[in-house]
Amino acid sequence: MARVGVFVCFCGANIADFVDVPTVVEEAKKIRDVKFAIDYKYMCSDPGQQMIRDAIVQHRLTSIVVAACSPRMHEKTFRKALSDAGMNPYLLECANIREHSSWVHQKDKKGATDKAGDLVRMAVAKSIANEQLHEISVPVTKRALVIGGGIAGIQAALDIADARIPVTLVERSPSIGGRMSQLDETFPTLDCSQCILTPKMVDVASHPYIELIPYSEVIELDGYVGNYKAKIRKKASYVNFKTCTGCGACSQKCPVKVPNEYNMGIDKRKAIYTPFPQAVPNKPVIDAEHCTYLLKGKCGICAKVCEKGSIDYKMVDEVIEREIGAVVVATGYDLWDATPYEEYGVGRYKDIINSLEFERMVSANGPTGGVPVRPSDGKVPKTVVFIKCVGSRDKAKGIEFCSKICCMYTAKHAILLHHKVHDSRAYIFYMDIRAAGKGYEEFVNRAQVETGAVYLRGRVSKIYQKGDKLMVRGEDGQLGQEVEVEADLVVLATAVIPDKGNPALARLLGISYDKYGYLSEAHPKLRPVETAKAGIFLAGCTQAPKDIPETVAQASACAAKVCGLFAGDTIKKDPMVSTVSKEFCSGCQNCVKVCPYQAIVTEDIPLGHGAKEMRTVAKINEGVCQGCGSCVAICRSMAINLAGFTDPQIINEIVAI
Amino acid sequence: MDYSNQIRDIAAKLFAEGKIDVFVGYRMSGFDDNQVPVVITDPKETSVLVFTEKSVFNLTNYLKADHTRNKRVGLVVKGCDSRSLNLLLTESQVKRDKLYIIGVACEGVVDDKGNKMQNCMECFIPDAVVYDEMLGKLQGKKDYIVNADITELATKGLVERREYFEEIFENCIRCNACRHSCPLCYCAKCCIDQETSTLYNGTNTSSSAFHALMTWSLHLAGRCVDCRNCEKACPSHLPLHLLHKQNEKVIYENFQNHLAGVEEGDRGAFYKYSLKDPDDFIM
Amino acid sequence: MEAESKDKIVSIEKPELIAPPDWKPVIMGILCNWCSYAGSDLTGTSRTQYPPNIRIIRVPCSSRVDPWFIIKALQTTADGVLISGCHPGDCHYISGNYYARRRFLVTKELLKMVGFHGHRVQFSWVSAAEGAKFAQVVKKVTDDVVKLGPLHLYKKENFNR
Repeated sequence: MARVGVFVCFCGANIADFVDVPTVVEEAKKIRDVKFAIDYKYMCSDPGQQMIRDAIVQHRLTSIVVAACSPRMHEKTFRKALSDAGMNPYLLECANIREHSSWVHQKDKKGATDKAGDLVRMAVAKSIANEQLHEISVPVTKRALVIGGGIAGIQAALDIADARIPVTLVERSPSIGGRMSQLDETFPTLDCSQCILTPKMVDVASHPYIELIPYSEVIELDGYVGNYKAKIRKKASYVNFKTCTGCGACSQKCPVKVPNEYNMGIDKRKAIYTPFPQAVPNKPVIDAEHCTYLLKGKCGICAKVCEKGSIDYKMVDEVIEREIGAVVVATGYDLWDATPYEEYGVGRYKDIINSLEFERMVSANGPTGGVPVRPSDGKVPKTVVFIKCVGSRDKAKGIEFCSKICCMYTAKHAILLHHKVHDSRAYIFYMDIRAAGKGYEEFVNRAQVETGAVYLRGRVSKIYQKGDKLMVRGEDGQLGQEVEVEADLVVLATAVIPDKGNPALARLLGISYDKYGYLSEAHPKLRPVETAKAGIFLAGCTQAPKDIPETVAQASACAAKVCGLFAGDTIKKDPMVSTVSKEFCSGCQNCVKVCPYQAIVTEDIPLGHGAKEMRTVAKINEGVCQGCGSCVAICRSMAINLAGFTDPQIINEIVAI
Repeated sequence: MDYSNQIRDIAAKLFAEGKIDVFVGYRMSGFDDNQVPVVITDPKETSVLVFTEKSVFNLTNYLKADHTRNKRVGLVVKGCDSRSLNLLLTESQVKRDKLYIIGVACEGVVDDKGNKMQNCMECFIPDAVVYDEMLGKLQGKKDYIVNADITELATKGLVERREYFEEIFENCIRCNACRHSCPLCYCAKCCIDQETSTLYNGTNTSSSAFHALMTWSLHLAGRCVDCRNCEKACPSHLPLHLLHKQNEKVIYENFQNHLAGVEEGDRGAFYKYSLKDPDDFIM
Repeated sequence: MEAESKDKIVSIEKPELIAPPDWKPVIMGILCNWCSYAGSDLTGTSRTQYPPNIRIIRVPCSSRVDPWFIIKALQTTADGVLISGCHPGDCHYISGNYYARRRFLVTKELLKMVGFHGHRVQFSWVSAAEGAKFAQVVKKVTDDVVKLGPLHLYKKENFNR
């Protein structure tokens, strides 16, 4: 027989002014299972909580109903009061008579009082079906996995490792560094990107707590917060890194030439290559798609010239498994392909390039030695047109969002152009200048004043060829007239999009992504680095377009989150998770399909007592389960129930009035 | 449509080759010209097998029974039966490698009076969709037709519909024959019978029948293949197909033309979603 | 409001039944914890008024709502049911409301066919920021159900518990 105690709160005048609290208490006393009911001015105050504690002991109560404010407000407070009195905290139910009654029916005291009475009845009915629950504690593997070795991944890895937590850093390409390593100088200070990044890359390679696995990809992630198991496929490099000295003789002699990704395809690299001189690790890999020996079995020059004998054509992909506790995803960005802009002649005219190509050209270690040239004839351009918002903020052809960084890097490009080609002039077509950030507005002003860059507010309507020039026709919105610029080179600031592998990665990790492919954070404002899946964090442009300082800040925030998660030996988890009654489970496995967290697996149990034949039933991993109840509602056999929100609890509430 | 001889030959061959332990087919009832399902374990008995337009029952229902569990089974499926088999396979109730499926390009079956059944006239997948061997000439997929009774009901007013269904639920005797005859009702213990489940209601009133039948039809929504085993089994001759066909229509029209069991690996409309699902009925 | 009405309120499904003069509808509201329940709390903190006929049940996600909760509510205490969850794409549990949406549509259409008025079962997406919307939704549902009159279909005289 249940013995329920009901505690009705005045909340000062908040409840008492609009709900007749004594009537609610009297109504509560009429309920069969209620053995004790009382009101008080402030239930959440110390004396109020003391009343609950005393009543639990005095009246041997088996569950408690507090009729007060929203459970979202004080559920934890009252649970603690129950705990203190030696009662299981999950035997508490809150009847929300403030937000749901007194505050919203201020002109109808009778209606509000009736409703409060019903809400108490419902809470009492539910509390009778409440069960004792215990917080789940899950052990933690103190190792973090960082996916992506750009500046975000590097920063996160270093910060975590500095807290003496082992980190596995997985990078898809042969070297870490990411997009930042391709940049020349950075806004708004114009410090050299390589100069500030390279020391960090070296730190990663030499850090005792960082395990760097380059040229590899995460292919599987199982488990749950604190207890993930990752499978990482290490692509065959065909070079033994242990013996290779990185002398570079192989790359020099290799006869195969391939477009160089690091330089955005402007020049060629070899089939055996180190992506760039400062690469970490500074060891070459063989590009199996282009190597003549691997394709046709002939050549083998690199093996001949390698004094150390480090070339191993028989090397195969290797799968590495790591047990980890948390994941930081930092897969970075890509540039949108501007082909839909037919009126610009993208793809038709060689002298239209995107901003990363321009960045590589003006970069001192770039394919042109730091001087921008026209791809068509190799001449140095004198008039360069920059077009912003190509693809960004364009719902019709491109993407609705603002790519955030283009305003700033285009201003930087104007300055860099001026530095490299003194008698040049930049024309910049823009929609708005978004220069919010420390020193950003000043930087844009500097571009305009120092370099004489002409900012034209308006869209470009057409680009066409005239002789060896490109005629850029657009509108100067401020003068309200059409302008035409005779350009040597056109640079498009195309939209920043997430890495195209993001949706697949998100599915693999079990996290969500938006319609553009950006990975979704748990809360846009208050939880911007976490994902909805506990233990997986986001850093950098994989979540949204960002500049370097923001990326670094988010990466460090991820590190703080990881360190916080690993502070204890176990993680406490809400006990509101689903459980399967094996007896009733028919093994249709629809719950496995529906679970958004892959928390449900199957297990084989004997068909009957002592039977040899087996049948398959569902099994829920309480560490992974987040307690949404999707599986409960779709289970036709009613074999699954969600603690805290069981069928009997909810039905009791429904029929209680 | 008479494949009796072929099926006898195939069954005999399968037994002879040792490919199956059990064969599920039809035989003559012995009382009239109707047919009943038969489960054969003795190779000598294959001569009783028949298959004509009187072969009305969905034999996949017998795959959930004890005498076929974990045995190698040969069975005959029509278009609708094969769809329920598809679902049973997807829902891990039977193993494909334990089955030898004789698919039939079904021309439609008839009721007691010899009239073609309504579901056969409206059938859109007459050919078996999963089979090892196919009998008859393939007819191909046909267009989905909304059930004639549902169309007619839609023209009636609210009060008229209420009265019509009140009589149906009033006449239900809660014998659960519908459930037992349904190939897709294979739960270890039906939710309606679980004493711990709040659905449990031993009484036999129209309200408990309403509760049970509504829950039942919603558990079959997006899965029912319209084989009408339930209707054939119902001693009160209730038009149970109305509940299923209504769900099927709503699901077909709103959820990307979803039809149960047509595609391999499809679990039914409630176990997947699309971002294009209608949202206008929600405030 | 309905008590002041001079006209007799009849059940729309059973026009022969006239509601007692003091009849007040009961709306069973099932709200998801993360969006709609938070939104209804916001309605309270912003003191937006709505009719006091709704009784609110908190569930973690709209996907926790089994169709037979609706059936059970209609058969026992409720004259109308309102279920509310997160807007599509906002589900705290990634995809719960998409599954729920499918079930709701089918359940509603089935109930309509067997003789329930469509306004008896209504759904809404209310985010944690839409306190005002929640008040509007409750008002609309209450007004709708008042017009429909009391529900008398398949009622259980004795509940299970």
